[in-house]
Amino acid sequence: MITEQAWLLAAVPAGMFVVLAIFGRFLPRQGDYLGVAAIGTSFVLMLIVAANFLQHRGGVGPWRNDFEWSNVGDFRLRMGIFIDPITIVMFGVVTTVSLMVNIFSIGYMKGEPRYYWFFAVLQLFAASMLMLVMADNLLLLYISWELVGVCSFLLIGFYWEKRSATEAAKKAFITTRIGDVGLLIGIILLWREAGTFNIEKIIEFAQNGGYSQAYLFVAMFSIFLGAMGKSAQVPFHVWLPDAMEGPTPVSALIHAATMVVAGVYLVARLTPLFEVADGMMLVIVIVGLTTALLSGFMALAQTDIKKVLAYSTVGQLGFMFVALGAGEPQIAMFHLMTHAFLKSLLFLGSGSVIHATHHNQELDKLGGLWKKMPITGTTFLIGSLALAGLPPLDAFWSKDEIFVGLADAWGAWAVIILGLAAVTTAFYATRLFIRTFMGKPLDDHVYEHTHESGFAMTFPLIVLAALAVVSGLVIFNGVGQALGFPGGITEFIYLPEEGPARYAIDWGFATASLGMAVVGIFSGAWLYWRGSLEKSTALARFQPGVYDMLRNKFYFDEMYQYAVDRVVLGLSFVVSWFDRYVVNDTGVDGSAQVTGYTGFILKYLQTGKVPNYAMAIALGVVGLAVAGLVVRG
Amino acid sequence: MVPLENYLALSAIVFSLGVYGVLARRNAVLILMSVELMLNAVSMNFIAFAAYLDPTRVTGAIFAVFVITVAAAEVGLALAIVIRLYRNRQTSNVDEAATLKW
Repeated sequence: MITEQAWLLAAVPAGMFVVLAIFGRFLPRQGDYLGVAAIGTSFVLMLIVAANFLQHRGGVGPWRNDFEWSNVGDFRLRMGIFIDPITIVMFGVVTTVSLMVNIFSIGYMKGEPRYYWFFAVLQLFAASMLMLVMADNLLLLYISWELVGVCSFLLIGFYWEKRSATEAAKKAFITTRIGDVGLLIGIILLWREAGTFNIEKIIEFAQNGGYSQAYLFVAMFSIFLGAMGKSAQVPFHVWLPDAMEGPTPVSALIHAATMVVAGVYLVARLTPLFEVADGMMLVIVIVGLTTALLSGFMALAQTDIKKVLAYSTVGQLGFMFVALGAGEPQIAMFHLMTHAFLKSLLFLGSGSVIHATHHNQELDKLGGLWKKMPITGTTFLIGSLALAGLPPLDAFWSKDEIFVGLADAWGAWAVIILGLAAVTTAFYATRLFIRTFMGKPLDDHVYEHTHESGFAMTFPLIVLAALAVVSGLVIFNGVGQALGFPGGITEFIYLPEEGPARYAIDWGFATASLGMAVVGIFSGAWLYWRGSLEKSTALARFQPGVYDMLRNKFYFDEMYQYAVDRVVLGLSFVVSWFDRYVVNDTGVDGSAQVTGYTGFILKYLQTGKVPNYAMAIALGVVGLAVAGLVVRG
Repeated sequence: MVPLENYLALSAIVFSLGVYGVLARRNAVLILMSVELMLNAVSMNFIAFAAYLDPTRVTGAIFAVFVITVAAAEVGLALAIVIRLYRNRQTSNVDEAATLKW
C-alpha cells in the first residue's frame, strides 16, 4: 500500500541533499534542477499518498508502518511513520510551498555564491519537516525537530560573510534551543511514566489516567515551551524578525511551510494530551492572544518589508495557537494551511521586489512599483487582502472559524483581544502594500532600475496567488467532496472524541470578521493613501512615546540584553572564579606542586655511594628474613 | 661421613665473610672478590644438599656449574668496568664514583 511507503516523501529530498552537497558544485548549473526534481517527486508522491489515503479511508483510521530500531534488555524502541488527516494536510502544505520556493530560488539566487549548497540545504529542510509530520513517536519527532532547527540555522546564516547574518543565525538557533530543552524534558517525563515514545500509546495512557494531574501539567508545559520557541511565540519571538537576514526564499519557507509551523503541528498532534492536562489550554490561549496582539502592534511601525511580514507571521502563529487553545486543532491546521499559502506568496513577492530593486527592502525607498511590476503587484495585493481577511480569500474563512471556536471555548474577552489583533493585521497589510506599490516613488534612483522579475519568479507567485484565492474554500462541504475529501476540512480533520463537524457559516461572526478587515484596511488606506506619509508622520509626532515603543518592538531585545548581561555575566564571573582558583590553582597546579616538593625532599636519599646501596640491600634481606621467621612463628 | 651441618656451617661462615667484605671494603676489586666468596658459599650449599638428599641425582651439581659460569662472566664484565673507572678517575675506590646522585 503506497500510503505506508510515505517515508519516501522525506527520503527522496534527503538523498538529494547528500548528492547536491557532495557533487553539486561540479554539475552544470550547480544542480539546481536536481533540487527541483527531488522536491517535485515529493510533491507527486504527496498527491499519490493523499489520493490513496482518501480512497481507503472508510473506517481504516490512521496508517502505520514501523520497525524495531533498537532493543536494550526488555526495552524496545520502535521507529515508524503514522499518517492521519493532519499529516496529509501538512504534506500538502510542505511539498507545495517547498516546490514553489525551489522554483523561485532558481531566479532569485542566480549568481549567488554557494548556489548548490543553498539548494542542498533546502532539500534537507523539506525532508526533515516531512519526517517531523509523519513521525509516530516523540523521539523521531524530536530528531526531525532538531534537524529543522539546524537547517534554519544554516539558511539564515547563508550569507555568513555578513556579521549580522551569523548573529541572526545564532540567535535563531539559541532561542529555539531554549525551548527545545523544554521539549526534551517533556518527552522524557512522558516516557518515564508511559514507558513508550509512541504518540498514540502515550495519549491512550494519559486518557486512562496514567499520569497524575500535576505531573502531566509539568510535562505538557515543558513540551509547550518547545512549541513556543519553534513557533516564535512571545517571549521567544525575538529570533524570527532577525531571521530575515537569510535569503528571501528561505524566509518564505521558514514562515510558511517548515520551521515555525512545527510548533503548531506539535500542539495539534498532542491536543488530547493538552486537554487532559488541566489548565494547559488556558496557558496556550493566553500565549496565543498575547503574541497575536503584541506582534500586530510591533508590525505597525516597521519600515523593512520583510520585518513587517515577519511580525505578521508571529501574529498569525498566535492566531493558530489561539485556535489550539480553544481545543480546535482542525481549525489551527486550516489556518496553518491558508496562512502558509498567503505568507509564502507575500514573502516571495517581497523577494521579487527586493530582487528587482537590487536588494532594497526599506519601505522609505520604495513606492509606486505597481506600474513597473504588474504581476508581482497584483499577486502581492491578493496576498495582502488575504492576510487582512477579506472574503472570499483564504484567511477569511480560517480566521472566522477561529473566532467562532474561541467564542465557544473562552467567551467574549478573548474574542475582543483577538479582534483587535485582526484589525491591526488588516491595517499593516494595507500599509505594506500601499507603501510598496502605490503613490510616487520615494527614491528615483531605485525606481529607475526596477523591472519585473523573470518567469522562474513570477510563476510561483501566480500559483500561490491562485491557492491563496481558492484554498479557503475547502471549508465548504461541496468543495471538499468535489476534491474527493469526505467533506469540508472540519470533516476531514477532527478529534476522535468530537467526531467530524459539518461546516455551517455563522453570519454574525462572518459579518464581524469582515467588519474588522474593512476597518483595518480603510484606516490603513486613509493614513497612507497614495503613499503619502503626511498623516502617519503627524501621528508619530503626536504620540512619539508610543511610536518609539512600537518601533523598538516593546524593547524585547533590550530586555533580553539586560537579562543576559546580569544573569549570564554574573554566572560567568562565579564560574571563572571557580575555574581559576579551584580547578586551576588548587587542582592542576596544586597537584604538580605537591609532586615536585615531595621529590625535592626525597632526592636526599640518593647518595650515589655504592656501599650505601649495598648496605640497604643487605639490611633489606635480613629484615625480610626476620619478618618471615616471625610470621611463620 | 661428615654430617650436613658441618657443610652448612662452613657455607654460612664463608657467605658472612663475603657480605662483610662487600659492605666494609672500598676497593672495587676487593668488593668483587667478596662477591665471589658469596657465590662460592652458595655453590657449596648446592653440592652439599645434592649429595645428602639424593646422591644418584646431579641437579645440585649442575646448578653449581651454572653458578661458576655466571660468576666467570660477571667477573669479566665487572673487571672491565673497574678498568674503565680507573682509566677515568685514576682510582678504584667506589666512594669516589658517586656522581649518580642529585
